[in-house]
Amino acid sequence: MKNFHINHRQADQIDVLEISGELDAHTASKLEDSLKSLIDKNKHNIIVNCNNLEYIASAGLGVFMAYIEDVRGLGGDIKLTNMNEKVYNVFDLLGFPTLYDILDDEKEAVKQFHNRDQ
Amino acid sequence: MSKVKQNKETRSRFELKMLLETSRLLIESRETDFVLNNLLLITMGKMLVPRGAILIQVPGKNEYIITKIKGRSRLSEGDRIEIPWSPNEFDRIAIDPQKLGLNSPELFEGQNRGLYFNLKTSNHHLGYLYLSRKGNDELLSDHEIEFIESLSIISSVAIANSRMFSEMREINRKLDRKVYELNTLFDLSKDFSLMVDREKIASTFKFALLGQLLIRKFFLIYNMNGKLELMASSGLQKAPNKKQRKQIFDLPEDILELQPEHYEALPFLKENEIAALTALQLQGEKTAVVGVSKKANKEDLTRPDFNFLQSLGNLAILSIQKTLFLEERIEKEKLEEEINIAKNIQKGLFPETLPNIPNLDLAAKNIPSQQVGGDYYDIVETPDANFITAIGDVTGKGIPAALLMANLQSMLHVLLPVDITLGEATGRINNLIYENTPSDKFITFFWAKYFHAESRLKYINAGHNPPLLLRKEKNEFEELSEGGLILGAMPTLTPYEETAITLNNGDILVMYTDGVTETFNRIGEEYGEENLQKLILENRSQSAGELIDTIVQDVKNFNAGKLADDLTLIVIKAT
Repeated sequence: MKNFHINHRQADQIDVLEISGELDAHTASKLEDSLKSLIDKNKHNIIVNCNNLEYIASAGLGVFMAYIEDVRGLGGDIKLTNMNEKVYNVFDLLGFPTLYDILDDEKEAVKQFHNRDQ
Repeated sequence: MSKVKQNKETRSRFELKMLLETSRLLIESRETDFVLNNLLLITMGKMLVPRGAILIQVPGKNEYIITKIKGRSRLSEGDRIEIPWSPNEFDRIAIDPQKLGLNSPELFEGQNRGLYFNLKTSNHHLGYLYLSRKGNDELLSDHEIEFIESLSIISSVAIANSRMFSEMREINRKLDRKVYELNTLFDLSKDFSLMVDREKIASTFKFALLGQLLIRKFFLIYNMNGKLELMASSGLQKAPNKKQRKQIFDLPEDILELQPEHYEALPFLKENEIAALTALQLQGEKTAVVGVSKKANKEDLTRPDFNFLQSLGNLAILSIQKTLFLEERIEKEKLEEEINIAKNIQKGLFPETLPNIPNLDLAAKNIPSQQVGGDYYDIVETPDANFITAIGDVTGKGIPAALLMANLQSMLHVLLPVDITLGEATGRINNLIYENTPSDKFITFFWAKYFHAESRLKYINAGHNPPLLLRKEKNEFEELSEGGLILGAMPTLTPYEETAITLNNGDILVMYTDGVTETFNRIGEEYGEENLQKLILENRSQSAGELIDTIVQDVKNFNAGKLADDLTLIVIKAT
């Protein structure tokens, strides 16, 4: 198994998935399981912090596509933060910035979730 | 130097400086929008003009898009207007429609007196900068018009540059995407080849497609040995039912853009916003159908997107098919191993050694045609120190026949120590077989009990080929055919009747299954009972064992050295 890890933590009542390593065809199912389990627990405000994400393949991007509608349909969102340039370029190339909030910093995402709720 | 002249020079220098700075600002910019906005704001600010607009030509038409508009107007950015003259008719950059007697569109209500500055490169008309009268209702002076003309020329070059730049950027992006697509295909072809779980392949295919094409709705219907299965899906309201899967699978090969008639025939596709379908083939046979929605940013799928879908789809189903083949092979190997085990078990059901019986020369042989067979024979001592010989043939072949044969063997051995007659035992066996096996399974069965004291043989024949009895010094055979119905056909209504015969010195009894007589040669002739009888007559002096070998060899010779069915023989010679 390639090196890919997910660390789940809370930041101001928002669920944060810190993903690190390589997100590809073999590891995509791990992320899928994590997102699914959050949605199953009615946790719809999700930040995916990509600070230590080194590589992302199409299959990894597809996981975000597969769950964004579910999450938004339930009044939540998936926000992506702290990407390095290489990873961002892949998101950008495939047109993700028009559909997702991709933010420089996790704190901004937390703030956006809180502002929305006020 | 007069003050007026000095003023004029100062102004002129100021304008030149401004022109220089503006042109640097504009030329260095790579954003068309920035250039246009600045051109408009600078000219309006400098000339104190309260209303202005940038009009960009729709290529090949005399239609213009209002790209920028400042000042109160009922028109807004993005609107289109028509300008009825062609810019090539005029040498000057500034066009004054009123002076030239041209009809001009009303950009600002009641404010028709304005100038159109042609934005063009040396060979390309791009559009116009429109400026209304000044705020104090004065017209622009010739000097001011000249200044704006200069700025227009510089801006046009900047616009052309930035357009070229964005075109190149667009081309670069397309190229990057293509490279990325190829990388994805390359990586996944490696990934797929390492996967043996087809669910995982289908799910990877799904995610890669969602990510690469920016789609949310997807399904993969796979023809799994004639059964259409939904192997993977995303974003569907409800999985398609069996009928819908069939309808989708039966649609024409590839549909890049589903039409209203498709949606009408198959509301499922409309409800789930499926926009395109592609059929994937393996060796010319339609194997799977993939359906996808439009992109999540509302853009249509392009031909290159569709090509990518097909390439990745082909890779995926090739790998899925590979897992199926692999499974089939494993399954087959497992089955072969199990049959081998069954063969050994069955071998163990036949008597290992034959009992040594005074005054009888006894031999038996079973040759199964497949690895396991439906023939049965047995020779066992009974508790009263006599012995029983049995031969049977289960309809059909292979495992089912072998199972039933094993069943018969165990019944016989269970009943052996029980103190009942052969007839009663046969009745019980028949009932058990009738109750416990499908109606198309029967057993032809013959068995006999030999009593040493009086050299008598009591037998029952339940539908089996009658054993042949050749008396000493006779040339005619007696057939042992008395008994009852074949086993398993119906419950025992009338009891099986035993018949007794005496075996005298020199008598030969041959029991056999239909594998002996129902062997056919190449031209379709049956070996038959007649051949068998003739062979026994010719070799009546051989021992029981020799006679069996002679018969087996003759049957083999008859059919070019092969045996088509299970074959079993028991020979008893009274000595």
